[in-house]
Amino acid sequence: MKDQILQALRDLRDYALKKNIEATFFYHEEDSYLMRFANSAISLNTNEHLIRLEITAYDDRRRASYELITDLKNLDEMKQGVDITAEMVKHAMPLSYQPTVPTFKDSFVDENGFDSSLASLSNEERLEYFNKAVAGLETDDIKLSGIFSCGANTIAQINTRSEHTQYFKTSDAQISIVLSHSTLKWEVIAEQSAQKKSGLNPTALHRDLSYLMERYQNDAPQQIPLGKYDIVFGPAASGDLLSIMNWIGFSGGSMKRGFSFISEEQVGTKVFSDKFNLTDDPTCLDTFPFQRDLMGMPRNSYTIFENGVFKCFTWSQDDADEYGAQPTGHTVMHKSLVLSGGDTEVTTLEELVAMPRENDILYIPFLHYMNLVNPSKGLVTASSRFGALLLKKDGSVVVPYNVRVTQSVLDIFGDKVAWMSKSQTINNTSQSYGARNPTALIVPIFIQVNDLEISHSNSSY
Amino acid sequence: MRKKLQEQIERLKKAGATYVDARWYPVEESNYLMMWNGNLKNATSSRESGVGIRALYKGAWGFSASSDVSNIGALFNKAFDNARVAAQRVTFPVRLAEKEAVQGSFSSPNRIDPFAVSLSDKISFLKDLDEKLNKPGVTQRVSELIFMRKQIVYIDSEGSEIEKKIIEVFPSIQVMGVDSQGESHSRKFSPALMGETRGWETVNQQLFSENAERIVREMNEVLVADDCPKEDRSVILLPGIMYLQTHETIGHALELDRILGYELGFAGGSFVTLNDFGNLQYGSTKLTARADATLPNSPGSFGYDDDGVPAQDNLLIDKGILVGAITGRQMVEEANARSHKQIFNGSGGANRATAFYRVPIERMTNINIDPGNDGSLEDIVKNTEKGIILDGDKSWSIGSNREQFHFATDIGWLVENGQITRVVKNSTYKGETVKFYNSLSAVGDQSTWEVRYVDNCGKGQPNQIMQLGHGIPVCRFDNVRIGE
Ligand SMILES: [Zn+2]
Repeated sequence: MKDQILQALRDLRDYALKKNIEATFFYHEEDSYLMRFANSAISLNTNEHLIRLEITAYDDRRRASYELITDLKNLDEMKQGVDITAEMVKHAMPLSYQPTVPTFKDSFVDENGFDSSLASLSNEERLEYFNKAVAGLETDDIKLSGIFSCGANTIAQINTRSEHTQYFKTSDAQISIVLSHSTLKWEVIAEQSAQKKSGLNPTALHRDLSYLMERYQNDAPQQIPLGKYDIVFGPAASGDLLSIMNWIGFSGGSMKRGFSFISEEQVGTKVFSDKFNLTDDPTCLDTFPFQRDLMGMPRNSYTIFENGVFKCFTWSQDDADEYGAQPTGHTVMHKSLVLSGGDTEVTTLEELVAMPRENDILYIPFLHYMNLVNPSKGLVTASSRFGALLLKKDGSVVVPYNVRVTQSVLDIFGDKVAWMSKSQTINNTSQSYGARNPTALIVPIFIQVNDLEISHSNSSY
Repeated sequence: MRKKLQEQIERLKKAGATYVDARWYPVEESNYLMMWNGNLKNATSSRESGVGIRALYKGAWGFSASSDVSNIGALFNKAFDNARVAAQRVTFPVRLAEKEAVQGSFSSPNRIDPFAVSLSDKISFLKDLDEKLNKPGVTQRVSELIFMRKQIVYIDSEGSEIEKKIIEVFPSIQVMGVDSQGESHSRKFSPALMGETRGWETVNQQLFSENAERIVREMNEVLVADDCPKEDRSVILLPGIMYLQTHETIGHALELDRILGYELGFAGGSFVTLNDFGNLQYGSTKLTARADATLPNSPGSFGYDDDGVPAQDNLLIDKGILVGAITGRQMVEEANARSHKQIFNGSGGANRATAFYRVPIERMTNINIDPGNDGSLEDIVKNTEKGIILDGDKSWSIGSNREQFHFATDIGWLVENGQITRVVKNSTYKGETVKFYNSLSAVGDQSTWEVRYVDNCGKGQPNQIMQLGHGIPVCRFDNVRIGE
């Protein structure tokens, strides 16, 4: 298949060269499977095999793109696309800066992240996984929801500047299991991310769900008072906060456009807690990484925060071209963010609950519907969801209704950070709109932040 | 192609499928142009075509889609196989509400097809606007044009065959500036429904010029304003934020699949239960809301939904009482069966898919609030003792059951004793949905009513982005917490 794809790209390149068109070609093929559960049934079982081709034409400072959903058999349709793009670029307006056309110095193939046994998982295997993960946990009132999403992703590139190609192939699975009570309306979640079949472990999800269920089934939920709490964030909550910082924090383009809470003058200064160490690490296969970016730049581990000190912005090629900066290998569909673990030895929720504590601790595993109230201040808002717990200082545990947190990430990851767990986990942040783009980051399983305010507390679910 | 689809539908029926439908998109095109600070950052077109097949077997759905239609039989087989596996885990066998077989067609009303307009004309429109936005105080300026055109052929095993041709146009402009504390603020404009058509003619140069001037002026007022106070006030929501309030806390809350728990794994549920229909005092008696897919000119009007059900105008909230939901054929049957009574009389015609490769789910049509009897915006302001007028959707975050919310807006104007006193920045408000709508104390008349388009409503897994509309008057709510 690889040879066929690369040959099609070479044919398109030849076609463009013959017509004197400067162009880049971006091929994206996905084989996606999604089994969706709701009300304890399979509510949707779907698969899609889609090939997208994006052609970008350049004429000095002019640039235009054309994207089509196509098939490898339809080379003529793709060639027509080249003509359409070439016609578009004639009428485009010149940019105020010179856009860089990629030049690949050599051909690059990366299939390290591809596991054919995960990509070819059968319907029956997906169903069996779910049945195992929730065995004995469903009742007439407690219903199963969730997804088993998996697939294969192929990206291939060529351009008219060189004959070399880039080829990336990955496999991925994202599993999310929710158990909810149909009348009491509480809900708990367990999630897993896998890059190969051996990473699938339904037993682990069963263990997590069983523990949370025991709490939620037996304890009456309570509306907790407003005010300040010591909060422990779980991996999904931390992952969401880091993802939003990727947008309004350390992206050079966002900073230049006024969307960042970090300014240029803050490079080299302390922004966060000295426990905060964030890198973009494309050697970490669990993040479905790009080891080269889409401009052909080799990608190595890139330190963004070291002991809370902000080291540098990340620059995509286009932002670098526009603002006269050096690109940093970040023309990618997603980064490979890794937040280092701390030194607290706690790995499971049971261990967290058993830890001695001087104050009440609010455990928030998941932040729902996060949005940016004020990007310049890093101010975000979101509600807790899926299995929050209030761990009382006397050792007892209360099930709280959901609460809203409206806080700046500067506070959340600033000096209020009390500890981070040594153990890390994968947080799969893949979104399922547009072209398949498996995305994950690595975070400490638990991060405790003291003295954060709860601005709203629900009186029911 | 139609004949081939029909043959395959018959074949699956014979093989045991109780229902089959096919949506064939001979062509779907889009065109996106974006100018940022004078740079044409995006000039993108796209084109796709393909078929999506839905099959029902032993009460379970299977779906399959492909852009490659050379082996259409295999595609139908795949959908059927997917249904067979899904049939191993069924709790409430899918039943579809009765409907009439329809031979129909729908074309969205357009005078000028935007795909017939030259790229140069589109770019020159953006360039003109960009120059108008390039004024003192403005650090970032963005002008966008989005065009969509699709042809959909729908055929089902119950004898319906429907063809739809839909064109959408979404133009918008935005400016940003930085205040003395280094904080960014923005103001934006996108036109409300104008006239009876929605083609290139809606991209009206003069209207955009006037509004470009206005948003620059208002943003500059925000840059020198004080922060929004943290206190309780009456909030007067202009359609530029009231549309989103309605979208998030009436629209999504009343999607029947959410109410029945079909989105609990992702987007969330609803505080509304089946017992609430006919009973729940959702809002004050001034609140009447409807799902109106017959509004002549809006992305929420599409002739027939993707169950092949004709567009309807259905009441959702009648003088404050919850009476209806956003529904499709499957969910109404399940809701009636689960509640042991006839809450819904057939499908509301709101099941839609965003592309050939996505399955239809309950989507908003035009979720509108009826105009009221409290006069113009000026009248409402005059009758407000201590309030704030809010406009512009800056940020929105809603609880998973749509029970509570937090919104931030681009601009706020304080109102004291019936007079607008001053502009404030960083304005926010929050509340609990039912309490909030029950505090609705004034609804503007027809002069305040606008239809706002939404081009990016996300829902479902795999995620689907849908276009729809909201017809909204100015609304005032009392005792609302602002500034937090
Ligand atoms: Zn929406």
